[in-house]
Amino acid sequence: MKAAKLTYHKATSIEHALELVGRYDGAGKLMAGGQSLVPMMNLRMTAAEHLIDISGLSALRESAWKDEAFFLGSGVTHSMIEDGKVEDPARGYLRHVAAGIAYRSVRNRGTVGGSLAHADPAADWPAALLALDAAIVIQGPKGERRMPLAQFQRGLMETALGEGELLKGVLVPRLSEKARWAYLKFTRKVGEFAHSIAAVVVDPAAGISNVVLGAVGGKPLRLNGVSTSLSPREIESDLKAADLDGSSYECQVHKTMITRALAKALQ
Amino acid sequence: MTKLSLKVNGEAVQAEIEDRTTLGDFLREGLNLTGTHLGCEHGVCGACTVLVDEEPVRACITLAASVAGREVRTIEGFAEDPAMAVIRECFSEAHGLQCGFCTPGMAITVSDLLKRGKCADAAQIRTELSGNLCRCTGYQGIVEAVELAREKLNA
Amino acid sequence: MHKEGKGVGASLRRKEDWRHLRGLGQFVPDMKVPGMLEVAFVRSSVAHGLVKAIDIPGEHRARVFTARDFPQAKPIVAVAKIEGFKYSEHPALATERVRFAGEPVCLCTGSSRAEAEDVAESVSLEIEELPAVVDMLDAVKPGAPLIREEWGDNVYVSRTNTYGDIEAAKKAAAVTVTREYRMNRQSAVPLEGRAILAVWNERLEELTLHVGSQSPHQLRVGLAQALGIPETKLRLVVPDMGGGFGSKRVLYPEEMMVAALALKLRRPVRWIEDKREHLLAAIHAREHHHKVTAYADARGRILGLDVEIYVDAGAYSHWPNGPFMETGMASRNIPGPYAIANYRCKSLTVATNKSPIGAYRGVARPAACFTIERTLDEVAHAVGREPWQVRVENMVPASAMPYKNVTNLKFDTGDYAESVRRAVELIRLADIRKRQKQGEPDGRLIGVGFASFTEQTAHGCGEWVSRGVPVIPGYETCTARMMTDGSLMLMVGIVSHGQGMETTLAQIAHEELGVDPMQVSVRHGDTQVSPFGMGTFASRSIVMAGGAVARACRSLKSKVRKIAAHTLACSEEEIQVKNGEVRGPKASLSFAEIGRIAHLRQEALPKGTEPLLEVTATYEPAVDTGVFTYATQAAVVAVDPETGKVEILDYACVEDCGTVVNPLVVDGQIVGGIAQGIGNALYEEIPYSESGQPLATTLADYLLPGAPEIPHIKLAHLCTPTPHTEYGMKGMGEGGAISPPAAIANAIRDALMKIGAEVNETPMTPRRVRAAIEVALSKKSQLVEA
Repeated sequence: MKAAKLTYHKATSIEHALELVGRYDGAGKLMAGGQSLVPMMNLRMTAAEHLIDISGLSALRESAWKDEAFFLGSGVTHSMIEDGKVEDPARGYLRHVAAGIAYRSVRNRGTVGGSLAHADPAADWPAALLALDAAIVIQGPKGERRMPLAQFQRGLMETALGEGELLKGVLVPRLSEKARWAYLKFTRKVGEFAHSIAAVVVDPAAGISNVVLGAVGGKPLRLNGVSTSLSPREIESDLKAADLDGSSYECQVHKTMITRALAKALQ
Repeated sequence: MTKLSLKVNGEAVQAEIEDRTTLGDFLREGLNLTGTHLGCEHGVCGACTVLVDEEPVRACITLAASVAGREVRTIEGFAEDPAMAVIRECFSEAHGLQCGFCTPGMAITVSDLLKRGKCADAAQIRTELSGNLCRCTGYQGIVEAVELAREKLNA
Repeated sequence: MHKEGKGVGASLRRKEDWRHLRGLGQFVPDMKVPGMLEVAFVRSSVAHGLVKAIDIPGEHRARVFTARDFPQAKPIVAVAKIEGFKYSEHPALATERVRFAGEPVCLCTGSSRAEAEDVAESVSLEIEELPAVVDMLDAVKPGAPLIREEWGDNVYVSRTNTYGDIEAAKKAAAVTVTREYRMNRQSAVPLEGRAILAVWNERLEELTLHVGSQSPHQLRVGLAQALGIPETKLRLVVPDMGGGFGSKRVLYPEEMMVAALALKLRRPVRWIEDKREHLLAAIHAREHHHKVTAYADARGRILGLDVEIYVDAGAYSHWPNGPFMETGMASRNIPGPYAIANYRCKSLTVATNKSPIGAYRGVARPAACFTIERTLDEVAHAVGREPWQVRVENMVPASAMPYKNVTNLKFDTGDYAESVRRAVELIRLADIRKRQKQGEPDGRLIGVGFASFTEQTAHGCGEWVSRGVPVIPGYETCTARMMTDGSLMLMVGIVSHGQGMETTLAQIAHEELGVDPMQVSVRHGDTQVSPFGMGTFASRSIVMAGGAVARACRSLKSKVRKIAAHTLACSEEEIQVKNGEVRGPKASLSFAEIGRIAHLRQEALPKGTEPLLEVTATYEPAVDTGVFTYATQAAVVAVDPETGKVEILDYACVEDCGTVVNPLVVDGQIVGGIAQGIGNALYEEIPYSESGQPLATTLADYLLPGAPEIPHIKLAHLCTPTPHTEYGMKGMGEGGAISPPAAIANAIRDALMKIGAEVNETPMTPRRVRAAIEVALSKKSQLVEA
């Protein structure tokens, strides 16, 4: 189980990474922590003619407040968040999510940006950050652009990242003291990819009221808002809108996770 | 081919490797450090766990080239480590190993979780061990070994 | 149970631990030889088809080998001595036809594994697909596609055994329970996969195979036959091995072809199986479908059992034991530890387009146990009694031992019912019943389940002959050699790959000779070092090899006494061998002095005594029908009725394996077995698509339980030494894995009693549990509407 041949490039700066991405237009693949990419390469389910390694870029691990939002560098690892080495503007939500990703040795290399850019529908950050109304900061050859995370993930392992661009970071809103959240995953065993993710974030002060379902279809699904009275029927109609067979086992699990996450967040 | 220089078990190492070489293959085939075992090669079993800059990572899904300039520590690099000496004793006392294949990766994970203090009770220990599969012991001896080591190291 | 000292009964820390804890174990993948080629295989991507063309790019032609390159290689054939058995010819590299997805077609080489995979990737196979036979029940239907036209059907062997009068039982029954149970296909998944390094030695004209094998001597027999070379030219060496659990005991096509290539090229060749290959093409296991009708009286005493067993054995029968043991053992073990007088059993071993199955820890008995234990619980529910009480009442009583059961298994010793009563205490049944009445704050439903079993171990010649196997592993061997300095070496035919035999066999030598176990060198796994032996499987090694060690050491001791008596001028009866010393009435000698005399100072030997201190002993227990370990396991589960997810809250096991050599090792084997049984019960499965594609080929899809999924296991022991073996030992390596699926299924049934749901198929995934709940709920609502 060994990867196919590739040419390795170690990016020495964000500019260098962009230059490489541009140079190998189409044949280049960015690698952050590589914790999803390298297994797929070992299995020869994916190949990268030119692998551009951005895991060494400390510039991508920089995080800071920018106005009212917290900028989380895309190279921040899950364990940096888990350990509180990076501020959690979401009052423990990010730490909770980070600590539940795969296993410690994966969290030590896996990054927030890598997870978002890989865009696996069952991954944690795409669903968790969508529920936070996070925004994405993309660096291209001509500068930065921003977009809501909701527009970033387009489908199964497909994002709005254009050729020659890289994910620089994510802007996370500050949650107020009154914020409530819940993040539930359904897995058969600890550490495996989730079969259902329910993320609920409510913060009137920040104007956030989200229910997000992950591990469903091609990308996380935003449901019709949070309410103490969200009935099973309303949840069902939301799920139906996402082409989920109401009588399926998957639907049953999603409903259960959403109901429980809502109850937990609103208790 | 890529030129690689890094530190392995305290010693500077320079080598020329195929770009696709994983850290696991480099350690085993290139440096003959065969204590790092490859169980699944796709990041699930944890047998290949080594430290990079004192943090556990999976050598099978880490490219060797991407740890250039950093410090790698394998099970062989723990020969003189005082905490590992205690862990080894406790593993033997509690019968925390049978075939020995998962053992090096398991021992490194255990040394890390003890260092981080993630060993309050059996439930926390089991969660912390979730990324290291053992097919022989049913984990009971391993969990007992961690509890024993926690007491001995805290004493 | 623990005894002081270092001999039989002592919880000695293992000698093996030192090297493994330092990363200094030596496994096949750790071994490298200059000039070594690495191998990757091109495998069939379809389940069933005709190989029309193998397209090899010109630049790789010298590095790709097909069946045509090995004209001497014979197909692998295992023939059971069972009437009507149809055997398969299994070419190690497919010739004109492929019969399962994953079947090797070409062998490719490279200077690294990555390079070999590059070559393999460049080869394309043109295969004309044939309809695949995927499900065993479909495979036996008229008109099913045939895997081998010459067979006329897809059945390796079909047998019906009738004991007693099942019709009479039917007539007398107050209660009848009918069920179908299915145990789906899984894999052994030792953490280290298969591995072989083949090295041609020109000086000796010998091919050395460093190979992960549980039975190197037997494997040499099969390999020599298949390769068409004399056994003197084959040496098998098994270094450290990362688990086996039954999966490393057959003659594999891949291993055979690596050996054949090393012979052909006269170059070292290595193949290290990866996990995808393991899940694809190493033996699979389980895959049983049982149909059962039980007849019982009003108290729940089982009067008769009528059973149909289907086993999906896959496309080929592996050497030596093929697929036929699975149905045979299932049919003999379904009556369990119970006194059941009437039994009818029909079994079919079915061929499908899937990977061949083989022995995996427990062999057939997890399915047999599931069938009898689930059925027994249903009988108990039908008569309104606690299942454990019905269990006890049906069991063979201790007073009846020794007891020949309905299928002629000869239970030797034990108090089966006591294991149930102790398990009831250990799991705190009364507390669980109370807790169930209160309900859980999180809405989950809790339940408790029991399952009992016997484990036939260390069976000898007659038992194996009756099973129809081509090789009769009825004995084991040991050469004990005392060196000139008095140190002791034990050379045994078994293999130790986690079982701690380097320690426990040394403990037995200590028991006999008083030597320090840490100083005893136990050598195993090398066909040129050890006498012929059968290997490690079927829970046999401690009894068989331990028995051989005891005997060899005793013979050695009598020679030591003879030499000592001569030197000390006393009678042999006056000589005592104790604590590593040889004591006479007035003076004593060390083993070193005896060793020196026996080898270096022939003139000091008694007249007529031959030099050397070396004995080879073989051992077979006093009865060849096996000695029976038994146990009762109990599980407490919490079922989430909304998602179907099951959590094990508590688990207990009460077992009796007779005299224990090392309690630490025995407990480790039990817990390890239970963990695998929990995998079988809740997690592990290789499903297949309708076209015969395996759907779990990575560990992301094939779920192995991790530490959080396995609860702390509470253990208690009974100890009834058997009169038939050395020290009263019984084997016990597999037992742990036998009853978890049954105990957990019964616990789930108990939890879902009010809903009326039961799950009769493993693994009991959240999806299956929820489906069972939905079926039960819809039945209930239909009843209400009606």
